[in-house]
Amino acid sequence: MAAPQAGTSATHPVAAAPSESWAVERQMANTLGLCETQMTSALQESDQAVDALIRIFTGLADTMRDLGAVSARLPPEIKANVADDLDAQLAAITKQIGSAVIAFQFYDKLTQRLGHVRFSLATLAQFVCDPAQTQQPEQWDRLHATLRSLYRTQEEREIFQLMMDGASHTASNEGRCETSAAQSTAGDIELF
Amino acid sequence: MSVASPRTILAVDDSASMRQMVRYTLEGAGYKVVQAADGVEALEFARTGTVDLVLTDVNMPRMDGISLVRELRTLHSYKFVPMLVLTTESGQETKQRGKQAGATGWIVKPFNPEQLLATIGRVL
Repeated sequence: MAAPQAGTSATHPVAAAPSESWAVERQMANTLGLCETQMTSALQESDQAVDALIRIFTGLADTMRDLGAVSARLPPEIKANVADDLDAQLAAITKQIGSAVIAFQFYDKLTQRLGHVRFSLATLAQFVCDPAQTQQPEQWDRLHATLRSLYRTQEEREIFQLMMDGASHTASNEGRCETSAAQSTAGDIELF
Repeated sequence: MSVASPRTILAVDDSASMRQMVRYTLEGAGYKVVQAADGVEALEFARTGTVDLVLTDVNMPRMDGISLVRELRTLHSYKFVPMLVLTTESGQETKQRGKQAGATGWIVKPFNPEQLLATIGRVL
């Protein structure tokens, strides 16, 4: 499909004068609202798919456990021929199920983090509509502090700090990958 | 000969998928699992029933996990029950609040099934 030429789009005429209701702030708020709505819709859709996937997974995993129990009850004369192979196969599946249990949890983490992004977009949409706030550096600081207080994971805090320190999106992603690999807290256990 | 009944664990998380993962892991190790979707639901259960261990998330609607631990510690039957927090929260400040509320330990998500079971085995 050919790319539209600048200034000739039917929806964006070059010389069109802004209507009275048109304002930069309103356009920004609407666009941020659009992003938030798209994200919400995509999350709702994926929630349903992942819920179904998890039900299927746990069903399969339960069946695998049942097979293990059946294997344990096999008569010795039958088990003697297949025991090593069967046990090895069951152990391999059990290990893979353990990895899947860890992997599924990342969806939960993703949902939580995207929830914070959605809230951030909605908060920003409200913020930009008030020129009295957007002109005040301390109001931006307050907004950033509000967003910072949402974060629950180490990764979110790292990205926030890198971006506030002036890193670009790309540099922030690269820097975060390096620090996270070295300092990930996932799976950390502390008994008090 | 009497057969020992399985130990019961109260798993609290607002995410249905997380509850499924926890239930699958614990039942596979022989535990009985009671589930609650937030602190209020867990507390309602705790007022009428007892468990051997509580495993709770932190960030949940209606009542968070740290408030739940604090409330449970005021109940006579939960004074000495181990309470593990399972959360994405890794900040020291929140962890300290959990400790002060009476949590027994802190596990950062995602959990490794074998390590979770080993930790539960240690505190039970």
